[in-house]
Amino acid sequence: MIREITLGQYYPVDSVLHRMDPRTKLFGTMIFIVSLFLADSLKAYGVATIFLVLVIRLSKVPVSFMVRGLRAILFLLLLSVSFNLFLTPGTEIFRIGFLKLTWEGLRLAGFMALRLIYLVIGSSVMTLTTTPNELTDGLEKSMGFLNRVGVPVHEISMMMSIALRFIPILVEETDKIMKAQMARGADFESGNLIQKAKSMVPLLVPLFISAFRRATDLAMAMEARCYHGGEGRTKMKPLHYERRDHMGYLVYLVYLAIMIFLRY
Amino acid sequence: MGIIKASKLIYDYIRRDENDQVEEVNRAIDGLDLDIKAGDFVAVLGHNGSGKSTFAKQVNGILLPTEGTVWISGMKTTDESRIWDIRKTAGMVFQNPDNQIIGNLVEEDVGFGPENLGVPTDEIWRRVDESLEAVGMTAYRLKSPNKLSGGQKQRVAIAGVMAMRPQCIILDEPTAMLDPNGRKEVIRTVRELNQKEGITVLLITHYMEEVIWADRVIVMDDGCLVMDGTPKEIFSRVKELKNYRLDVPQVTELAYELKQEGVELPDGILTIEELIEHLLPILQTAKTGV
Amino acid sequence: MAIRAEHINYLYGEGTAFEQYALKDVSFEIHDGQFIGVIGHTGSGKSTLIQHLNGLLRASSGKIYYNDEDIYQDGYNMKLLRSHVGLVFQYPEHQLFEVDVFSDVCFGPRNQGYSKEEIEQRAREALIQVGLEERFWRQSPFELSGGQKRRVAIAGVLAMQPEVLILDEPTAGLDPRGRDEILEQISALHKEKKMTIILVSHSMEDIARYADRILVMSHGEKMFDAPPKEVFRHYRELEQMGLAAPQITYVVQRLRDQGIPLKEDITTVEEAKAGILELLGKAGGEV
Repeated sequence: MIREITLGQYYPVDSVLHRMDPRTKLFGTMIFIVSLFLADSLKAYGVATIFLVLVIRLSKVPVSFMVRGLRAILFLLLLSVSFNLFLTPGTEIFRIGFLKLTWEGLRLAGFMALRLIYLVIGSSVMTLTTTPNELTDGLEKSMGFLNRVGVPVHEISMMMSIALRFIPILVEETDKIMKAQMARGADFESGNLIQKAKSMVPLLVPLFISAFRRATDLAMAMEARCYHGGEGRTKMKPLHYERRDHMGYLVYLVYLAIMIFLRY
Repeated sequence: MGIIKASKLIYDYIRRDENDQVEEVNRAIDGLDLDIKAGDFVAVLGHNGSGKSTFAKQVNGILLPTEGTVWISGMKTTDESRIWDIRKTAGMVFQNPDNQIIGNLVEEDVGFGPENLGVPTDEIWRRVDESLEAVGMTAYRLKSPNKLSGGQKQRVAIAGVMAMRPQCIILDEPTAMLDPNGRKEVIRTVRELNQKEGITVLLITHYMEEVIWADRVIVMDDGCLVMDGTPKEIFSRVKELKNYRLDVPQVTELAYELKQEGVELPDGILTIEELIEHLLPILQTAKTGV
Repeated sequence: MAIRAEHINYLYGEGTAFEQYALKDVSFEIHDGQFIGVIGHTGSGKSTLIQHLNGLLRASSGKIYYNDEDIYQDGYNMKLLRSHVGLVFQYPEHQLFEVDVFSDVCFGPRNQGYSKEEIEQRAREALIQVGLEERFWRQSPFELSGGQKRRVAIAGVLAMQPEVLILDEPTAGLDPRGRDEILEQISALHKEKKMTIILVSHSMEDIARYADRILVMSHGEKMFDAPPKEVFRHYRELEQMGLAAPQITYVVQRLRDQGIPLKEDITTVEEAKAGILELLGKAGGEV
């Protein structure tokens, strides 16, 4: 199930969006998210839709990939939609027991659903067009000012990048250990909460041991390749803004201005 | 002095209890003297616990001697000011292909070493291109390492070391976790680097098929060097090898066994071709003779 | 008859764009007391196949019978099946988790629900079977050497006293000494305990020495199912599947091509030695 989460899965094609500076994309995603919370009319959502569709077209990533990320939030989506649908006071359409469906609820639920879906798709656009490394590079550089207040920005971004590399490996490993213990008669499904928690021990202990072993190995391998922190380090893919990034920022500002205008 | 030199090298693994008192001392290397010539392909054999992997880690300063000295290209590994020079001169490839790849893309991983060394961006790209080409992984440069086979991952790891422009590569059981095809792939790559680029290779392994191409084979046991010679010399001593609980390739064993029975074969046959070449005339004579 | 598989298909990512056959129409029978070798390159489906035999993976279509009972029928006790068909995964030492060796080996029989005495009895037997000396039993499994850890892990499966033992590359990453020890112990289980063994291995030499029948997998399909000597005769086809026959097979074939009348089915050093000495009219020629 964890495999289905598209967030963090890079889709390798060549597009303007792929070539864009990760900082531009990070900033753009932020603006898009803010704009979703500004939107409260059909018109505003229309503009957001046009913006999103254009961006998706530019990214050259198949829409099916974008939509796949939604599966992970399906439950959340249904929950918030039904809450809004039935628990919003207003003009009643019909009611079953204490649940009543209202026009206001319908409208709110619709906007809520759109907002959630656009949020996930919008951030998927970023992660699908940006390698995790570019993303951490982008974060490292945009957060660089935090270095001055003693936050180890380079180290944090290196940690994130390594975590991203090892997540699929550890997921696979979890699956393997689980099967190996099941072959020894372990039962991960039945029993009450306490029994279930207890049955996790034969899974978690080997998993932690493996993670520690990998971490030790990796630290040694990094040292062997002369890693000694961020100091004096150069970049294979240094970040610098190009014309397309300036264009990007311009488009964001225009978009944001429209959204603010539509709100007030 | 050769590119790698060890003199009276001793290394103890020391286990301490909670109060930092020495609980157990385990001598992994016990007085090793060794001199390796630049450009050689040297294989180090020995069963687990023979000290061969510990020695590998001494060569680029991951471990430092308890006693004695190791020099890399004339630099003492204990000289802290030169540690990064030592590590880029003697690059290291480890056993587990997953646990040594840092980058999320093949090319980014290969660039990791040069980035650490502060190489300018243009030069990093040049080195990445060349290194990927040298190990035949150019076509995979934009792939995620997780999508590669074990053999391919090890080739990426080798490229990552090559990008630091080393004079010497140490491979610590690089094929132990691979299938036979992956093993061949890695050994072929290493041989090419040795022959074409003149890189000194120190290959730690326990697969005998992998050492028959080496210029020199060293056998370690109990932290000591116990055999040292060309593959031919080493493999003519089948009995001794078996004493050290090592294998010999099937052809070598067959030739040795036949020789014991009085069949006139030369010492240290290593390949199928060699065996056929010498055995065929003998069998043909026997056939016509009967 | 221990295991019968009928037309097993297994699809990865069923219903998605990445749908792919991991197993394609695989059928075979395994009889009690056999020693089966399974070979195939990485990704040939051999690991997927063996996980079907104890119900860890469920075939997309096809049937599997254990002792003539359909394991996919309603109410079939999978837990019981897993204790009859023991499966030792690759690098099994990665599953160790208990504070000491002995407790870890007890995990399997404890899950089977035996009494304390019975559990400990079984754990003791299993540890003796894998030849781990008693002084290690109360140690943490993580303090042992690689070969010892592996033996503890195998004991963990043996303690369930399975009738069929499946091992997925039990010697991967071990040195020649560790490899020989493990293979000898497996062979002893087969000979003395009459256990049915299914051994997945990359080493043709090992398979040639121990197995009395080989299943060859390639691209999810069963390509050969025959005694080693017969399978290795097809060494050219094996090569096309990314496999190889033992070195000795090549020596013998090359000599035969040159008109030397050696027997075609020689696969081990001992057989080759005997055959050649016989041709030379030397003593020791008799097999």
